[in-house]
Amino acid sequence: MTSAPNARRVVVTGMGGVSPWGWGIAPLRRALAAGDCAIRSVTRFDATSFPSQIAAEVPPPPPELARSIRGWSRLSFADRYAVAAALEALRSADWPTSPELTTGVFFGSSTGGMWETERFYESWRHRCLERAPRHALATQPVDRPAEAVARAIGASGTVMTVSSACASATLAIGEALDAVRSGDVAIAIAGGADSLCRVTFGGFNALRSVDPRPCRPFRADREGLSLGEGGAALVLEPLESALARGARPLAELCGAGASADVHHMTAPDPQGRGAALALARALEDGACESARVGGINAHGTGTPLNDPAEFHAYERLFGSRAREIPVMVTKASVGHLLGAAGAIEAVATILALVEQRLQPSPGSGAIDPEIPVRLPASSASNALDAMVSINLGFGGCNGAIVLARWSGS
Amino acid sequence: MIREDSIVVTGIGAVGAFGRGRAALAAALARGTPRVSAVDRSSGWHGERAARTALLVDPRAIEGAIPPLEARRMSPPSRFAVVAASDALADAAISVSSERDPDLAVAMATSFGPTSFTQRLVDQLLDEGPAAASPALFIECVANAPAGRVALSARAAGSNSTFVMGEAGSLFALGRAARWIASGRARVTLAGAVDEMTPLLHALLDRFRALARSERDGVERARPFDRRRDGFLAAEGATLVVLEREAAARRRGRQPIARVVGGWSAFDPTAPQSAWGHGHAGLAAALRSGLSRHGTEIDEIDLVVSGASGSRAGDRLEAGVLRRAWGERPLPPIVAPKSVTGEYGGAFIGAALLIAAGNSTMPVLDFDADEAGCGLSLHRGPPYPPPRRTLVSALSSGGAATWLLLERA
Repeated sequence: MTSAPNARRVVVTGMGGVSPWGWGIAPLRRALAAGDCAIRSVTRFDATSFPSQIAAEVPPPPPELARSIRGWSRLSFADRYAVAAALEALRSADWPTSPELTTGVFFGSSTGGMWETERFYESWRHRCLERAPRHALATQPVDRPAEAVARAIGASGTVMTVSSACASATLAIGEALDAVRSGDVAIAIAGGADSLCRVTFGGFNALRSVDPRPCRPFRADREGLSLGEGGAALVLEPLESALARGARPLAELCGAGASADVHHMTAPDPQGRGAALALARALEDGACESARVGGINAHGTGTPLNDPAEFHAYERLFGSRAREIPVMVTKASVGHLLGAAGAIEAVATILALVEQRLQPSPGSGAIDPEIPVRLPASSASNALDAMVSINLGFGGCNGAIVLARWSGS
Repeated sequence: MIREDSIVVTGIGAVGAFGRGRAALAAALARGTPRVSAVDRSSGWHGERAARTALLVDPRAIEGAIPPLEARRMSPPSRFAVVAASDALADAAISVSSERDPDLAVAMATSFGPTSFTQRLVDQLLDEGPAAASPALFIECVANAPAGRVALSARAAGSNSTFVMGEAGSLFALGRAARWIASGRARVTLAGAVDEMTPLLHALLDRFRALARSERDGVERARPFDRRRDGFLAAEGATLVVLEREAAARRRGRQPIARVVGGWSAFDPTAPQSAWGHGHAGLAAALRSGLSRHGTEIDEIDLVVSGASGSRAGDRLEAGVLRRAWGERPLPPIVAPKSVTGEYGGAFIGAALLIAAGNSTMPVLDFDADEAGCGLSLHRGPPYPPPRRTLVSALSSGGAATWLLLERA
């Protein structure tokens, strides 16, 4: 088995998203530009007995969307986010789905239909098996969102799911890049979807990783993360075929990298070695010099341990520039989307590259002096050539991607 | 013929109902009968007529393999995977360094993740409230916990991904592992699959009518392609294999077990959410296209190791795909080791490698395959000659399909 060199350039020609700001990219774009925060009291379940009672929840879907997608009622929340995001992405790419073309779906998810499974399990415990809705359980495996997308668009190529905790979607986007480069698929829908559920809400609370107030990544008074939910999808295709069909690329997906910390199951390596390796590999894969990087979309959870580890990774890679490169923290606006975090953060990064404008970080507290990153205070114009987006997950797995502005050449 | 740049498998580590290690798996295949145990039905999840047995790991098989303090923190799948990984590295004569190895990667597949710990966490949340939720359980709830544990134990700081693609995941992980090495993303990759079979999961699979039920003699049997088949035997365990470049293996004096020519995937969009579809034609075209991409004519396949498990619809689809792919040509011998290994837990890939390497010829059960309506005959009678090229096939409920092309080294 030999591999072709990374000669084929891959571009993003469409994107879609479902976030706590609503269904579609437009409300997300507005909120990110304004530096708004969607983290509020939890309404999906009774959270009053949890130490933290806030999260960023997706609002109900527009009724016409539910009517337009076949089998909607049998889809889990995560499936719905995935399908809606993928269909929007294909529409924005102006891509007519065709069985003649091998379309692949590469998604990340950490819990899939866990919310529906919890409800099934609860009812099964209290009543009898025969009354529990079987279809709710059928949505449990974490590969269901990707499969739901594949079914909705009639995909016949590789349909795969990465479930590597919070790095899932970034790793999936990396796999999609490889598949498009190598010609395994003609087009890839890459992204992620996850929904809020009691297992993750209770689990992160048990770990004491959740901030009782909306998360404040990199700020001195940060106390932890805030959970969110949603989904996002990118359409990836080879540059030459995108141009041939008259598509206008939004950005170039230059490279992807991955690594493992080999430090601890949940705590990141405090020296940031694993994260730095993933970033370095992404830059190398994309033949992108670090000097080109004009912005970082951080994993930026807001936990006491994550943010310093990340800053030290930036220092390893960028040296003294680590204090100068602007850092966006999408999670401060939409919460932590877990397996879908890398997907929504890729969308935010592409928006920044397209608009040449970094998104301000919600909140106004002082930056932690031990980790002096530069958080954009307002939506000011920047000359952005390339940006990196990174995610670190439980199990010590790390993923990073490099996106570059599409300048028409 | 030695092919310096090819990717080979040099070590197998396996934990399953058959015991622990490559020899135990080979012995089970040679016996031709699965080692089933009674599933604990005391929780009352199972219906009266539900399946009663599964291929369960005897805890004594891995006793002492992990220091007790570490083992106590791990879910059963993490324990299985860590032991299998350690055995695979030892089988390949690769010693674990005290330093992190950034070129040692992990590509893991799972269908359900650590279900027992997830169930316990949900029980805690429902019964005792958030204050009782155990952080130790939550850490091991994520699907990639086994991959994270393997990285920690093997000091594997390279790419670390957990793939979820149902029954097709294990082959996909091997294919990705080979690709990572070919593209320079890793020097060595530990690849494989892990799953556990809890009473709850067993009962739920039975509720979907996926499991083989008792025959007149009270025994539950998986009968791949047989007209009497009524489901598969659920299994647990882990199988991990070591992949590396042939030149590196030869330099260490290791005789490769098999060469990985390539792996590829497709999707059947006719498949419903948790069942098999009827897209024989599309999958057969994808199979042939993959062979062609890997420079192989269909006549060059000497043996098919089929993922047929005894599933009524799954085996029908598998048979249809194979018949369609071969067309008028005679099919090569077909073996279906899931009659012995069961479904899930990764032993299928270990079996496929041993069979492809000519290390194990698998007798088949007393099938009545000719009357199956599948149009396939399972190999029986005298041993077939060691195959030169072996196609391994796995179709998943939900639509995913993966193939792997192996060559005798």
